[in-house]
Order: sequence, then C-alpha cells, then structure tokens
Amino acid sequence: MSIIVQTEQLTKTFQKQHAVDHMDMTIREGEIYGFLGPNGAGKTTTIRMLLGLMKPTSGTVKVFGKQLSKHKLDILRQVGSLVENPSYYPHLTAYENLNIVREIVGVSQKRISEVLETVRLTEAAHRKVKGYSLGMKQRLGIAAALLHQPKLLVLDEPTNGLDPSGIIEIRELIKSLPKQYGMTVLISSHLLSEIDQIATAVGVVSRGKLIYQDQMSNLRKLARSTIRIQCSDLSQATIALKQLELAAAHEGEQLILENCSNRSVADAVSLLVHQGHDIYRVEENKQSLEQIFLSMTDGVSL
Amino acid sequence: MLNQLLRSEWMKIKRKGLWFLAVLGPLGVVGLTMVNYAVRKDYLLSLSDDDWQIYLDSILSLTPLALVLGIVIVTSMMASIENETNAWKQWLALPVRRPTVYLSKYLIASCLLFVSSVILAVGTTLYGMSLGLGEQIPWIKILQNSFYPWLSSQALIAFHLWIAVANNNQGITVSIGVVGVIMTFMSFFLPDWFMWKWPSLANDWENPFINTVLGISVGLLLFIAGMWHFSKKDVS
Repeated sequence: MSIIVQTEQLTKTFQKQHAVDHMDMTIREGEIYGFLGPNGAGKTTTIRMLLGLMKPTSGTVKVFGKQLSKHKLDILRQVGSLVENPSYYPHLTAYENLNIVREIVGVSQKRISEVLETVRLTEAAHRKVKGYSLGMKQRLGIAAALLHQPKLLVLDEPTNGLDPSGIIEIRELIKSLPKQYGMTVLISSHLLSEIDQIATAVGVVSRGKLIYQDQMSNLRKLARSTIRIQCSDLSQATIALKQLELAAAHEGEQLILENCSNRSVADAVSLLVHQGHDIYRVEENKQSLEQIFLSMTDGVSL
Repeated sequence: MLNQLLRSEWMKIKRKGLWFLAVLGPLGVVGLTMVNYAVRKDYLLSLSDDDWQIYLDSILSLTPLALVLGIVIVTSMMASIENETNAWKQWLALPVRRPTVYLSKYLIASCLLFVSSVILAVGTTLYGMSLGLGEQIPWIKILQNSFYPWLSSQALIAFHLWIAVANNNQGITVSIGVVGVIMTFMSFFLPDWFMWKWPSLANDWENPFINTVLGISVGLLLFIAGMWHFSKKDVS
C-alpha cells in the first residue's frame, strides 16, 4: 500500500507554544485514519497544515508523495476537506453553494445532484442554507468535500452536532468510501467510541505530540483482560493456585488470574472449591480502550 | 483560473443586495441634485454663464461621498461573504491560487463601482438635458466627472478591501470605513496627498488627471501589499 500522507517532524508554534510538536504521521492508501485526541491537542492545526491553510513552523508535509509546499495546487485538486464547523454561504441554496465549488473543481453539473443524493439533501437542495439544521449544514459540507471525487478526504470532527441517526448515517457513508471509490480518509475526533467504530488505523495526539500510531486492530490487542476471584483465606488460595501453574497474584481482597481461558478459570475454581474455600465472586476485568488512552494522554480525558 | 473565480464570486454576491447598492448610489447623487435644482434653480443658473459647469460641479460635490460609502460597504460585504461562516478555510483548501482569489475580489468590487459610474454618467446627462442647460452638451466633461472619481478611488478600494479581508471582525472594518467617509466629507481641508481627497478631483494644480494617476498607481501598490499579506496569512 502506498503512502498517501507523510509528515516529517511537522511543527507549528504559536507564541512559543508548540501547538503541533515534531509530528511524524503516516497515512496509507485505503485507510480510514482516525486522528484522536482531546480538544486543543493540535488536531485541527495539523489538518490545516495538511491542507496548506497554515504554514508549518518547521517540518514537511508530503501528500501523494509530493511536497505540499511545492505542489499545492496539484495536491489540492485531489483532496476534499471539511474543517471544523461547516462553512457555507447562508444566503444561497445548497445547490448554489455546491455550484460555486463546482466552478472551481470543474466537474459536471450532474455531480451536484449525485452528492446531494449521497448525503440525502436532494429535497432541501433549493432552500437557503440559512434555514438548515446544523446536521444538514454538516452534510452539505461533506457533499462539497465529495464533489470532485477526491483521492484523499479530510474530515475534521464530521459528526459534531449531528443527532444519533445522523451520526450512524455519516459513519456508514465514510466506511463505504474506501471500498466504493478507493478514497483514503483522515477523520479526526475527540471521541474514542467514534474512532473505534470507524477507523482502520489510528493516531493519538496529546499536547501536540503524536503519542501512538498503529493499526486499529493492534490497539485493540492492548486491551487485555484478567479474572479476579474473591474468596476466603486469600494466602492459602494463592499457594494452591500456584501449584496449578496459574500465575496468580493477590491484590487487596482479590486474586488475579492473568490467563483467562475458559479451561484455566474452570480449573482454578474447581481447585479452590475442592480445598474448601468459599468463593464470593469471579469476575472478568477488561481494561478498556478508554483506560489505555487515559494512561497514554496522562489523564487528559478524551 | 481567474475566469472560474470571477464566475464563482458573481454567484456568491447573488441576493446580497450589492447590485441594488450599485444602482442606488448614482441615483442618490442625481436625485439630490434634482432636489437642489428644484429648490433654487434660478439662483444656480444665475451663478455663471456656463450652466453645465455649475451643474457638473454640484454633482461632483456629492459623488465622492457616495463613492467612498459604496467602497466601504462593497469591500466589507465582499469579505463578509467568507468571514461570516469562516468559509476561507473551505475556499482556500480548494485548488486555487490565493493571489488570484484576492484579485477576483478586487475586480468584482471595482467592477460594481464602475457600473455605478456608468449609471452616474447616464443620469447626469439625462437630467442635465432636461434642465435645458444649453445646446452644447459637454460630453468630455461629463465623462470625466463620472469616471475620474472612480479611477482616483482605486487606492481606496485596495485599502478598504485589504482591511476587510485581513479582519474577521466586521466591526473594525466598518469603523475604519466610517473614518474614511468622514475624511472624504472634510476633503476640502485635507492636503493633496491624502487618499480620501482624490475622488473629489481637487488639487492645487487644478488638474484632475493627477488624481487619477495617483489613485491608480497607489492603488496598485496597496493591492500588491494586500495580496501579499493575504497569500502569506494563516487561515484559522
């Protein structure tokens, strides 16, 4: 898979503060790259630099293998974007809004109806955008980004302000893009659950630094689980379990089993019961992605 | 690319009332002159033998104010189209060159005011003829009277467009604009090098052509400066 976006030591400084701090980001073709981080971590600033809206203080951005600073127009011709809250011309209709963009990207009139259909705005196409709900404005923004069938789609917090059904709809749409049109998608969010459901790769940013970047599946593997057993006479029970070679430790009132296959849990429980221990509870404790992120971002909640 | 950008900009100003404004300005100037002549026509005709000259002078006393007011409103609206929903971030992430985007905004603003000048020329001629100011219609003077203020105010268009595009806050833009209008109002007392005096076509040499040369050349410099700033600026 070829690399679509590559930043090298990308840095942006505002009044001596590193908004983006030596970031090396890699997005491969066909990925849905989830760009995750708390509010104010530098996601939007990074995205603005990827789109050439801001100049990096230092470092470089390469898109489709070309330097952004030298081939900006060539690159932007194949990039669609929606940055933060949607931008639109409120005194014009959705159709007119898209027609203005169409004039620049040079696609046929037919595309306008197609993208309006995609985001389900066909019926409202000839109403002024002023009267739209936030969700409709957001969908119009996505329609504008899709208009010229870009190879790279950059969506900054696209589900902000959408209601649950709108979120699901947009999520399904985004998921379908790589398969249907061969697009690569960069999507940012401060919501872990959002990224978890949509992304195939993930980059976690905190205080301007990219602190984790990998395939989503590898991240999920980090979420391991343990079995906790609470019983009478902890020390006896620990010794007994050690004989079974089930690595057991005790923490407070509970025994902790690292290996939690069905077989080993059953063995451990039957051993304890046969030795006459009272077992009060057996519970599985799964370290959630949430907790993993919390520890990554030093407690700044997502 | 300029063609595409200009077409887009025309679409954007639809329903913004800018065309209405472009027509209202010159009609206002001619309308006020009508009131002037309705009230004291005999007095105005008695001032000089050259009745056309007096008539054109009274038009020219109103034109700069209407023009500068128009420049302030048009430039601030051209910028507000993007500032309103921060559409710069969408517009400039499209495959467009920023200098060309800036040029397209300038051309639209200047073009709207040119249309106003054409309407002013037509209005001046028609009302002048109806007043019966003399058989000999001074065509050259009418054209100068209508288009020299526009040429002389290119510097003001460039200046106010720069201010409007550089400030997301329309309050600042309009405040500076109001100061500009007041300066135009007092232009009689201002030195010749003052930009806001140029549309009045007055100067110590009594040669209005100098004002147009100043307006266009300084306008070009201010346009380049504004364009350079716009191209370098971070879009937030």
